[in-house]
Amino acid sequence: MGKKDANVRMSLQTLRVLESFLENPTEQLSGADVHQRCHIASGTLYPILLRLESAGWFVSQWESIDPSSAGRPRRRLYRLTSTGLRRASEVFASFNRGVLA
Amino acid sequence: MSQRNVTHWLIHHAARHAPDSLAERLEEEWLADLETRTSGVSRLRFAVGCCWATQVIAYEHQPSTAVASNAAAHTLIASTDQNFGFISLRSSTFFLVLSLHVVLIYGFMTALSHTHKSAVPDPLQNRDLPRSQPDRVPPPLPTPNLNHVIIEVPNIETNLTYEPDPDHSVTTGPVDEQLPPTPPTPSTPHVVKQMAGGPGAGFPDTADFYPSLSIHLGEQGVSTVRVCVDAKGRLTSDPTTLKGSGSARLDEGALKLARAGSGHYRAATEDGQPVSSCYPLGIRFQLKN
Repeated sequence: MGKKDANVRMSLQTLRVLESFLENPTEQLSGADVHQRCHIASGTLYPILLRLESAGWFVSQWESIDPSSAGRPRRRLYRLTSTGLRRASEVFASFNRGVLA
Repeated sequence: MSQRNVTHWLIHHAARHAPDSLAERLEEEWLADLETRTSGVSRLRFAVGCCWATQVIAYEHQPSTAVASNAAAHTLIASTDQNFGFISLRSSTFFLVLSLHVVLIYGFMTALSHTHKSAVPDPLQNRDLPRSQPDRVPPPLPTPNLNHVIIEVPNIETNLTYEPDPDHSVTTGPVDEQLPPTPPTPSTPHVVKQMAGGPGAGFPDTADFYPSLSIHLGEQGVSTVRVCVDAKGRLTSDPTTLKGSGSARLDEGALKLARAGSGHYRAATEDGQPVSSCYPLGIRFQLKN
């Protein structure tokens, strides 16, 4: 990927993408999975995924299936890195600090 | 050109204009994700979105190569702003308008054809109806055999005589004796002391169920849910929203909190005895200043 800038601009759509990954941080999600969870259009979703991957928050790899036996093409799966998990948790924790008990 | 070919062509076209390092990957990724879309409109929207995503991705990757070059980078960045990196602004606008027309025409065709199909009734078919039976006079009813019935009433003779009993004579006048006090009649029914239920000890904290996005958006409010609780403070049915807070996220958070509190409710009481009951529960989501 291109630049390695860990500072990602936090838009509302980016937060929704991160929230879908934080539900189960070890889970690998494809772009279609993320779309089903947070209903972000493809024109917005894929630039966000690539931006977070470029920043080191995500890593991606091809799905390890045999397309001929599975009957469908392999998907690109994204997963939170330890850095991404820590930074995303910090972002959401900064919101939680403002909550009344 | 079929709808499937159109979407594949759009994705191929979009990926071809992506940065070289990403073109093959994006095309394969998008074609794989396209297979998860079932409806034609959804697939078309996805493909058009990929075209837009290519422009954004190309725009974001362009500066890194431009900055690494020499002073001509400023000119390149300026032209990137105007031309979205790889196609001219005029071409991209034309392509966008064309895509919107395709989407609209396809949407109208699919929606209208479905409407007409459901509105047109099935073709009429001739069908022989069963011939009705000719009018027939019903058979006459049998005449009842009425015989004269003689009812004999026995003649009962009554000869009643009344002899006054000297021990139980009836006198009139004022009575000096004190009558025994009659027991008081209950004038008012028994009042049942009722105490409404509510959150009890160990009830979950509201902050734990404050949706993260609502915090980010600064959403606050009170969501009123209806809970049905048995005598042990456990939910007997799924809570429902009585009055929303104006935010679906907060209402959902309130329902999750109400469910999580099962077993920690304070049951309503009647005469001090816990009973099952249903009551509204207001849950306030409020941010710190």
